[in-house]
Amino acid sequence: MYPADLLKSLELVHSTRQRRRAESLPRLEEQQRDHLLKTYHPDYKDAAFRNLRVGANKGDRVTHELADLLESFSDLDHARINLEPEFTTDVLVLGGGGAGVTAALFAESLGARVLLATKLRLGNSNTIMALGGMQASVAEEDSPLRHFADTMVAGGFAGKAPLVKALVEDGPHIVKWLLDIGVNFDRDALGNLATKKAGGLSAPRILSIGDHTGLNIMKVLKDEMRKSGRIEILEFSPAVELTTDAAGACNGAILYDLGRRRHLAVQARAVILATGGAGRLHNQGFPTSNNFGATGDAVVLAYRAGAGIEGMDSFQYHPTGVMFPDHMVGVLVTEAIRSLGAHLVNAEGRRFVNELETRDLVAAAIIREVEGGRGVRTPSGKVGVWLDIPVLEELLEKGMLKKRFPSLFKQFRRVRIDITRRPLLIYPTLHYQNGGILIDEQSESTVNNLFVAGEAAGGIHGRNRAMGNSLLDIFVFGRRAGLAAAERRGAVPGPVTLNHLTRYYDRLKSLRISSVAKSPTLFPEFIVDKL
Amino acid sequence: MLTIELEGRKIKVPEGLTVIEALWDTGHDVKRGIGCLSGLCGACTVAYLEAGAQRVRFGLGCQTVVAEGMNVIMLPYFPSRMARYDMERMTNPLQELAGHYPELTACNDCKACNICPEWIDVAGFVKTAKEGGYESTADRVMDCHMCGLCASRCPKSIAPQYVGLYIQRSCARQRPLPPNLAKRLEQMAALPADREFTQVAALNRAGLEAYCRKILDS
Repeated sequence: MYPADLLKSLELVHSTRQRRRAESLPRLEEQQRDHLLKTYHPDYKDAAFRNLRVGANKGDRVTHELADLLESFSDLDHARINLEPEFTTDVLVLGGGGAGVTAALFAESLGARVLLATKLRLGNSNTIMALGGMQASVAEEDSPLRHFADTMVAGGFAGKAPLVKALVEDGPHIVKWLLDIGVNFDRDALGNLATKKAGGLSAPRILSIGDHTGLNIMKVLKDEMRKSGRIEILEFSPAVELTTDAAGACNGAILYDLGRRRHLAVQARAVILATGGAGRLHNQGFPTSNNFGATGDAVVLAYRAGAGIEGMDSFQYHPTGVMFPDHMVGVLVTEAIRSLGAHLVNAEGRRFVNELETRDLVAAAIIREVEGGRGVRTPSGKVGVWLDIPVLEELLEKGMLKKRFPSLFKQFRRVRIDITRRPLLIYPTLHYQNGGILIDEQSESTVNNLFVAGEAAGGIHGRNRAMGNSLLDIFVFGRRAGLAAAERRGAVPGPVTLNHLTRYYDRLKSLRISSVAKSPTLFPEFIVDKL
Repeated sequence: MLTIELEGRKIKVPEGLTVIEALWDTGHDVKRGIGCLSGLCGACTVAYLEAGAQRVRFGLGCQTVVAEGMNVIMLPYFPSRMARYDMERMTNPLQELAGHYPELTACNDCKACNICPEWIDVAGFVKTAKEGGYESTADRVMDCHMCGLCASRCPKSIAPQYVGLYIQRSCARQRPLPPNLAKRLEQMAALPADREFTQVAALNRAGLEAYCRKILDS
């Protein structure tokens, strides 16, 4: 329940609701958009970035948090570790979220032996937390070309056209596959897939399963993995290094068994990195919507093995992360709420941006309000703006919030905030790494036999990701990675080595870099900081 | 500061922490039960007894805020039997439900399973499923994140979370292909969109921008 101070600010939100409903805010002109981003978006805060000094992307601008990881050594004593493989397999999948499981399923469908290793429990990933939905151009007024154009525009034309083409063309086929294995997308009265519009989309294209889209897809995928019993699963076994052969091609990984506290080597003909993004690095001190394990391991591992990265200076700050109560800070409020017409309201009771602008613009506008002193302060000193959700009950129909957003309703019921009556205090939350390891259309990185899928992969979303494109990309590129990796099973993997590490460390040493940080991080240092 | 009993040990923790934060705050190296930290994934189920209470309650460790005198533990994963099947090969999986989960018929509606941290009426949907109300069951298990607490309580060893998932998948599988998707797939098969796309992929940045604006204006 809200304390007295916040309730007072809420009175203003309630009293201005009718006036706000009559307003329609114009979309920003190109120049205004540019100005807003450059002044307020975290990607443009120069002090938060530096240029990499080592590796394939030497000279590139990345966040300090990532540079710290890339310019450091591993905990692993690489000269002493036993490289005798404990497992050999055709395809090694690293990561147990949507991309990893999809890759494993498709690799196995071609008859490959698959081993899937994951840091936490199978399925415990950001995929489960994808609330709002997945893009796929199935609506009458839509088309793959339109999906292509929207994605390119949203990403500021920094996305790679061939990858975006793959994404949008595979979309409807992926939906068909998901339906075949029993995913229950929402339908309308005629049995059509229900489609919704979202920020920056020119046609309704968001498919959903209530507000639990990712969870329900992931449940089915996990269930599907059991059907053959041929995919071997290692839980609580994060990868801490990739291995390479004499020619520098990837041929396995070193895992760390968290339970037994020891390292083990896996030899494979192809490796698929699907360990997700870097949200838990809390760039620039932002809260995050990401799960506990999202510490950017993939980029660290692949980069040390020689892979090129792309766009790692661009992150998505989802406009509406929870700011109150304290233990829910960073938790996401789905964009679907804004697409339906909820208002963003500052401390003066005013709307300040068209809520349907792309995520980067809305986030920048909220930061502008807070930096300009028009934010609302919580008892613990955090500042946000209001998201007027109850207005939807008036705009649409009474009772719709509980029916259409059961998950959100329940999350706040636990803390005695009734979202049908009370707005939520929100602020941008670190949500998605827009860049990642550069891949081609078959999901292969610039290192031979190293495939990447999911948030770890780069080049698809450009500098801003539209809602619902990540839930699609994990299946599209998970499938492509799985199929292509399975085809490598004819090749015999050479002896497992860590020669690339020796080379990488030599470079660090020659630059006199002697970082105390160890990478990959695996888990965030969790310091409970309550005021 | 509050005094609570955490994992069998009496300790003092700051007010306002969740169970997981309290564990971290007191130096526990907890990873197995940690997931989304948003109350969505179901990895961190806890059992707790509040001061003076009679009944043990269940919740999510990342969403349960500690209170004075609370006695709380994190629950390990609960093993429950799951059937193995290939949904893609079944035309009418609902007819095969009894073969995969025969124990469902043993349910005598004792309601012991109604301890869901998501407030799902588990006993209600199990009863409905037993009576053949599959669509309604599928609807009601959408919020289930498979924590397995309900299965831990069933005297007949029913795993409601897996039965629910089987029914949810079966219902989706048995629905006809959505007409709008069927139409899009037909269009895509008939139109060599690829030719246009190949040209698009070769465009430079300015060309791409112009092309995309043209599509979006049409």
